[in-house]
Amino acid sequence: MLASVNQLLQIVAIGVLSIFRPPYRWKNYLREISFVGSESFLVVIICVSFAAIVTIIEASYHMTLVVQSDAMVPGFASLLIIRELGSVITALLIGSRVGAGWAAEVASMKISEQIDALKLLRIDPIKYLVSPKIVGSVLGTLLLGLAANIICLICAMFVTKLKLGYPMPTFISMTKLFVEVQDLVFASLKLMTFGFVVPIIACFYGFRAKSGAEGVGSATTQAVVSISVAIIFLDFVLSYVFSHFY
Amino acid sequence: MQILRSFVDDLGLYFLFLKEVFSTFCKSPPEKKYIYSQVLKVFQSSLLTTSFSGFFVGAIMTIQFAMQIKMFGASGYLGGLSTSGTVREVGPLLIAFLLSGKVGAYTSAELGSMKVSEQIDAIRCLGANPIQEIILPRFIGIILASFFLLVYGILFAFYGGVLMSYIFADVNTLEYVRHVPTIMTGISLFSGVFKSIVFAFAIASLCTFYGYKASGGAKAVGKAVVSTSVACMFSIVILDWFTTLIVDVINRWL
Repeated sequence: MLASVNQLLQIVAIGVLSIFRPPYRWKNYLREISFVGSESFLVVIICVSFAAIVTIIEASYHMTLVVQSDAMVPGFASLLIIRELGSVITALLIGSRVGAGWAAEVASMKISEQIDALKLLRIDPIKYLVSPKIVGSVLGTLLLGLAANIICLICAMFVTKLKLGYPMPTFISMTKLFVEVQDLVFASLKLMTFGFVVPIIACFYGFRAKSGAEGVGSATTQAVVSISVAIIFLDFVLSYVFSHFY
Repeated sequence: MQILRSFVDDLGLYFLFLKEVFSTFCKSPPEKKYIYSQVLKVFQSSLLTTSFSGFFVGAIMTIQFAMQIKMFGASGYLGGLSTSGTVREVGPLLIAFLLSGKVGAYTSAELGSMKVSEQIDAIRCLGANPIQEIILPRFIGIILASFFLLVYGILFAFYGGVLMSYIFADVNTLEYVRHVPTIMTGISLFSGVFKSIVFAFAIASLCTFYGYKASGGAKAVGKAVVSTSVACMFSIVILDWFTTLIVDVINRWL
């Protein structure tokens, strides 16, 4: 228990600090950003558009039940999308796609003794493997999440037009009325936090992998589970903290 | 184009796999004790995670609804709205995301490493049908266990909502519970249960499919796990939309 906490803290500290220390391997950083972006872009876009449809349908159901009118649906739905769904769904998808990929990569490097080889060459494996992932994941999740939010809102706009019959300018003006700049700042902070957690947990379980094919499998599984739980828990904490600033 | 082609390939293989599983199930169903042991295994491994995440999902939904409802001064409706929203929609979705990581990834890693180390071929060599011996107990066991875990997680989401409404929104428990039956109708409950069944089926079939398909070395196991969790999340979101449409149609018809 104490040893694993120590290892986790070591990964966080060395990973973050050695971003700012030479030698800088810019190519690795760019590769990780493009890995995060390109691997999950299509999946995130499709999932988020479907989530938008469902959000509008559900919001209109509840609003007609309580207030007997669905005039507020555009505002409420866009608020829910920006504050919650856009970021969480993006982060969970990135966690399972990219996080699992990284855990599998690091674990298979570990069991094929490539990490020991890195140590032999006097390259710090945490600096070499974790730092580019942290940078790539924080930036990649932020960009992808903001894009996902925008696409989710656009989809929601079309669905309100088709399903509830409100014209698109109404949706935009309602969104302007409800959503404030704070919401966007908090959404970005949330996305960056999620992006920071993914590579750390993935690499933590990757470094701990035991040998054999089962080792890679179980490292990947544990990484995916811990990332999802951490994202939901952090989402709760951040929502609670941010709710005091409105 | 490459992505589309591999997607269509996988889809075809998936349906062939389902056909094989169902025909084996009709011909010779697996013994009950194997199914029960799988159910027990899944429960043991994911009960804690499910209750934890369910609790926080309920808490998150209550915070979000409370912030929006406060604008209208309708805090009394908080209980009904957040319970209904969680049960109908967000609860099954997020808990199924989590289970797809926990159960799905675990099972596909297990099956993948069995396949890679040629244990499944060994079973075939001994004259037994690997689908009947290995896949079917897991398939049925995961469907049963995930369904009950999802329902259980939604129950915990309710507890999380109650606690959060007391701490955060100053709505006491009695007031919270009083408005649950007025807003959450039978169709909402049906929606939650129906979604749980569909998601459980999606998780079970996808994880066994990708685990059974794995071939190659240790890397293939990792790849199987990654594609399982992605495919699970993707299909859960799409099935979520689909079930919402079905429930909407049923709701209008009633």
